[in-house]
Amino acid sequence: MALTKKISLSEEELVRALKAQETIAIQALYDMYSGALLGVISRIILQPEVAEDLLQETFIKIWNSAESYDNTKGRLFTWMMNVARNLSIDKLRSKDFKNSNKNQDIENNVDFIDAQKKVTFNADLLGLREMVVALKPEFTTVLDLVYFKGYTHMEAAEELELPLGTVKTRIRMAIMELRKYFN
Amino acid sequence: MGQTAAYIESGTLELYVLGLLSPKEQVEVERMSNEFPRIKQEIREIELAMEQFAAANAINPGTALEDKIFAAINAADMTSPKPEVKVAQLNPPVSVGKIRTLQFSLAACIALLLVSTAGLYSAHARLDDAESRIAQLSVQRDKFAANASFMEHKNVELHQIADMVANPSWSVVKLAGTAATPTSKMMVYWNRAEKVVLVDNTKMTLPTNDTAHQYQLWALVDGKPVDLGVFDMKTDQESILVKMKEIPMAQAFAVTLEKRGGSISPTMSSMMVIGNVAI
Repeated sequence: MALTKKISLSEEELVRALKAQETIAIQALYDMYSGALLGVISRIILQPEVAEDLLQETFIKIWNSAESYDNTKGRLFTWMMNVARNLSIDKLRSKDFKNSNKNQDIENNVDFIDAQKKVTFNADLLGLREMVVALKPEFTTVLDLVYFKGYTHMEAAEELELPLGTVKTRIRMAIMELRKYFN
Repeated sequence: MGQTAAYIESGTLELYVLGLLSPKEQVEVERMSNEFPRIKQEIREIELAMEQFAAANAINPGTALEDKIFAAINAADMTSPKPEVKVAQLNPPVSVGKIRTLQFSLAACIALLLVSTAGLYSAHARLDDAESRIAQLSVQRDKFAANASFMEHKNVELHQIADMVANPSWSVVKLAGTAATPTSKMMVYWNRAEKVVLVDNTKMTLPTNDTAHQYQLWALVDGKPVDLGVFDMKTDQESILVKMKEIPMAQAFAVTLEKRGGSISPTMSSMMVIGNVAI
């Protein structure tokens, strides 16, 4: 992997090549974003094999529905991230996954926790871990529900027994913290 | 500006970036974004933060997964191949050989046309020739047929004359010219028993009469002239023999030139020929 030369293109060039169905586009997208997307997926789906299957599904969907991406509405990564998130959330909510997950919860609780730890304490995330810790708990909880657990903001409000406006504000505050951190 | 700030503060833009809004709400955000650059900028910053956050939380997939994903994408491409664009050639190139073939064909066509025209012209000319010859032959045939009929008729009459000469009931009377026309002469055949009188055109030598006059034949019966009818002196008589009125007895026959249609009594001054019946 380390020997492979990574392809990196400008967003404009990427979008053009992707819409033209040039194989180099999907190669570049994989090189640039497969890690970030697998990170997003793995926050929602904790089983690594299922997460990897979903990453594959995500790239196929990106490739096949490239024409539906509109760059005036948002960044390419935002679109890809939401493709990955939607596929993951659909999986999370599917009947067969819920059943297998339930079994896992009961029988392989240790593995489940380990998997979660693996993501949370990934060597790459040392900085983030500090940052996440630095966030006020109420922000972390809300962001965790909508971003990692696939809750809608309505579902999150219900879960936390908070007004919808409060949930929205807390999500905003959490992201404001991230913005401060990355700038 | 206060309204824009409130919109930004509401947290709706974060939900937009996270894909948590309904399609209707998304359209509203996009409208606001297009209208207010500040909102567009805010969305951009949220996107970048989430992107960086995701990058910071990246998990590198195994190398095996990469191959698996590209194999899947290629397979998907294979199962749904892009329709190949077929460009129809509007003016397909014509080979030199084809042009030469066409030229040769054209020349052959013209040559064939010329030969055909010549042949047709020749055939037409020959047909005209044949038609004129047929017409000519037809005229000749009609002429021969008429001639044959005429000869046949003449032959019958000649046989009749020959019979009359041999038959004792027929008298052959030779009429000789008078003092007025000494060269005139003619012959009359008279059958005493059947009272038939015939004149012989072939043995007739008289001055040709005009249209106002005709010759009249008379029989002299006991010194009195009896009318036997009129005739013309013509060179192209259809028949040899001309039948006249009947007479049971006569001592002589005479011919006078009278007005057309004949006279009741002969004009003695214009007597042309006369002859006595031999006893």
